This record gives sequence, structure tokens and C-alpha cells, in this order.
Amino acid sequence: MALSDKQKLMRKIQDQAFVLYDVMLYLDSHPTCKEALEYYHKHREMKEKLIEEYERTYGPITAMGVVNEGKWTWSTCAFPWERGES
Amino acid sequence: MWQYKKMLQYPVNIKNPDPALAKLIMSQLGGPDGELGASMRYLNQRYSAPCRQVQGILTDIGTEELGHMEMVSAIIFQLTRNLTEKEIKQGGFDAYFVDHTTGIYPVAASGVPFSAEVFQSTGDAIADLSEDLAAEQKARKSYDNLLRLIDDPDVRDPIKFLREREIVHFQRFGEGLRLVQDMLDSKNFYAYNPSFDKK
Repeated sequence: MALSDKQKLMRKIQDQAFVLYDVMLYLDSHPTCKEALEYYHKHREMKEKLIEEYERTYGPITAMGVVNEGKWTWSTCAFPWERGES
Repeated sequence: MWQYKKMLQYPVNIKNPDPALAKLIMSQLGGPDGELGASMRYLNQRYSAPCRQVQGILTDIGTEELGHMEMVSAIIFQLTRNLTEKEIKQGGFDAYFVDHTTGIYPVAASGVPFSAEVFQSTGDAIADLSEDLAAEQKARKSYDNLLRLIDDPDVRDPIKFLREREIVHFQRFGEGLRLVQDMLDSKNFYAYNPSFDKK
């Protein structure tokens, strides 16, 4: 099954979120590591931009990410456990 | 508090349903070394951790495990969709089906429902972190065993991801244990409870 544009963008977010989560766990035990901290901030910014693009185009990732003013899109867009949604 | 994100930590897209496989993978949701127990273990232990760094490790790994619960549930959900009665019987899924249809219920591969008895929260940082290190190895073992039994690349891929995370968590808990041991003084070489027994 070829990936949809929505899935492709979600994969980019998953990549960035993964990088952040992994470095976050490392920083918990190495809070003064400058290299890790720089890495964290670089990827945090990249992830924020991708999430903004995704929520604007395909719908909210969190219930606080609803940008559509005319419609409550949080409960009407798919949940991620469906095949083709991740 | 927590906020739900409508995304999986790693993609799960399974083409071919396979109820027999779902029954086995179910153990990583509700079994003795599954993700539900892992998450509850760390999220309950964190309050008595003696330093903020270890509280952070327990909070963040416990939270990631909630995401792994969702991934395992997504795998089971996709492996059991659109089943015929024949497939349910042939896949040995009939006993589960009687109680739960194709709903997701945390149970071990052996059929024993999830129990909080699979984990401890001792209030003793050395005891808790030692358990956590063992727990990560036990979960890694389950994923290794599952990978020995699974051929479908759609299923192997997310299982391999989950296996790798156990290895990273083991590393982080090892650092947490070292942090706590560094806090002990020379009189406490038996490593008694550093957060409770304060001289």
C-alpha cells in the first residue's frame, strides 16, 4: 500500500517525535550535556513546524490543536489504530 | 496530567488478519511482562523516587509505555478485523471471542487476565530500579520470542521497534540506579532504602 501524503507527513512527525523522546530520556540522566541539549532544541523546532502544518492540513493531533473555527474536528477525524492512519 | 496525541509512536499497518498471532501478541498488552504492567510499574514507583532525575526517568518511560500499549493494541486490533467464524475457530481465537468478541482486553497469551501482581512499588529506590532493569530484559525476551514465531513483515516491523525500546530503557534505568547509588554514603554499602531510612 503506497503511503498517502497525510501518512508521509505523519511519518516525518513520528521521526521527529521519536528523536525528541529518545534524547529527552537521555537528558533526564544527563541534564548538563550541552550536545544533547542543542540536539533537543533543534529537533523541537522542526517537530513544532511539522505539527503545525499537519494540524492545518489534516486535523488536530491533540484536542488543543483544533484550528478549524467552524467545526469540532477532534472527534470527527480518525484515530491512529486504524490501518492506514499511521 | 496527560494529554492524548492522535498518533502512534511508530506506524502499525497490517494487511493480513491473523487471530492466532493476535492471541500471542496479546501477552505484550496484558501479560506478566507486557506494556500495561510496565507503565503502571513506573508511573506508580515515581512518587517515592529519591531525586528528580529518577522521578523524570520513571515518568517519561512510564508515559512512553502507555504509547507502547496503544501500539500493541493497534496490532491486535488490525490482526483481528473482519474475521469469519471459521477463521476464529481455526485460529484458536474462539475462547477469547466468547468473552470479548474482538474487543481489546489485557490478558496473557496463557489466558490469565492482567493483574497488578506482576509488578511492585516498594518505596525503596534500589529495589524498584533493580526490578525495572529486570522488567526491561523480561519484556525484551518476550519480543525476541515473538519474533521467533512471526513471519509477517507488517507485524515484525513494529515488534522490532518495541524490542529496541526495551534495550534503551534498560540503559536509562541503569543510569538511574547509578544516580541513586551515588547518593548513598560509605556507611550504606548494603544499599538500604535511601528515601526512607534517613539516619
